[in-house]
Amino acid sequence: MKDNIFAELYNKILGFFRQTEETSKDVACNRLRVVLMQDRTNLTPQLLEKMRSELVELLSKYLEMDKDALELNLDQEGEQMALMLSIPVIRAKDEAEIAAEEEAEESKESKESEEAEETEQDKENETLDVQDTESENNETTENETKTTDKQPKFPNKEICGDCRECELSDDIECEKKKLKDTKQKTEI
Amino acid sequence: MSGRVIVITSGKGGVGKTTASANIGTALAKAGNKVVLIDTDLGLRNLDLLLGLENRIVYTIVDVVEERCKLKQALVKDKKNPNLCLLAAAQTRDKSAVTEEQLKDICEKLQKDYDFILVDCPAGIEQGFQNAIAGATEAIVVTTPEMSAVRDADRIIGLLEAKEEMESYRLLLNRVRPNLIKSKDMMSVEDVVEILSADLIGIIPEDTGIITSTNKGEPIVNDEKSLAGRAYMNVARRIMGEEVDFMNLEEETSVVAKMKKFFKGLMGKEK
Repeated sequence: MKDNIFAELYNKILGFFRQTEETSKDVACNRLRVVLMQDRTNLTPQLLEKMRSELVELLSKYLEMDKDALELNLDQEGEQMALMLSIPVIRAKDEAEIAAEEEAEESKESKESEEAEETEQDKENETLDVQDTESENNETTENETKTTDKQPKFPNKEICGDCRECELSDDIECEKKKLKDTKQKTEI
Repeated sequence: MSGRVIVITSGKGGVGKTTASANIGTALAKAGNKVVLIDTDLGLRNLDLLLGLENRIVYTIVDVVEERCKLKQALVKDKKNPNLCLLAAAQTRDKSAVTEEQLKDICEKLQKDYDFILVDCPAGIEQGFQNAIAGATEAIVVTTPEMSAVRDADRIIGLLEAKEEMESYRLLLNRVRPNLIKSKDMMSVEDVVEILSADLIGIIPEDTGIITSTNKGEPIVNDEKSLAGRAYMNVARRIMGEEVDFMNLEEETSVVAKMKKFFKGLMGKEK
């Protein structure tokens, strides 16, 4: 009995001084809400991070902001789940600036793609030449050493029909393909 | 007659599933319903202890499934209430001894003769849980106002919602401490209900009487003076479809209420 009275008194006094602070109950509630949001969705932290970086990329086109302080969280508002995005904006870019940046990017892109095309063509020409000479060489060697076992010139490498890059470098992935990929991306 | 099959589950262990099963079962039987309690916690049975029936068990649910006895033979009648009986879990076997189909079958058979079949679910979300919910169409999710218990309850609710046969589930908030809620050191009933967005079937205050009643093997609902006992009685009435107001625990546990009770006790003794 006595214990209870003292306990209650203690709580009341404590409660009086604590009112300004966040109570442990509030902390629990908030932490639970965040954890449950993550539990309920299938969004992994990796996916959230990816989403974050892509959003930064998109938004920085229009806004100058503190990228490191950007916060992206799932939250609950009543029955609805909400995606809360908080970004400290330093300033908004004006139209002229955005247009200028866009132009700069476009020209850069077009330059890149032109360059890519050029190098591609060069390489194609090269490979054709090389192939020709190679086949000739092969023929001659075959004729010369018919008795010995035929040994391929690049035993461990996949030979790509389009170019010679992959034969020369250790990279199996063809350089030309990479270039094509980047070209596609810029087109998108 | 087709009885209702209600599973009592929680996800987290130690929040009071078995205590809730024993008390709700006893309360429903006291109100005149025919009730079977099924303990599905194979290997870790405890419902028999809470009901004080540990010395009367001859056959278990595994014996029924493996056809060593008839279902009726395995039902142990309660000491006090002939309306209540227990189908005990086997202590020496693991969760794989009974399948979902078999439990569903047992529930269906019992539905013919009983008003309520309460299934006490093991902790966790593995096979034991899947077995326990197999035959049930209603669920009571037991939780406490603690973070881990609430989180696990949320997971369980997700799993229950995914089960087509599950018609409804309601929340039983156990071990509530009004003093701590008052001092804002424990999540309130409203907080938990809001976070889980589920309907409430009862609020049970933390009560030392639970410990003594477990020691004696007698559910606390038999003690009509105890707060937790009354709260469990209210849960049973709500299950039966009555509308019962939730107790105001803050008032009930306040110093004034305790003083009143104390003096009433003194007066009673004098007379």
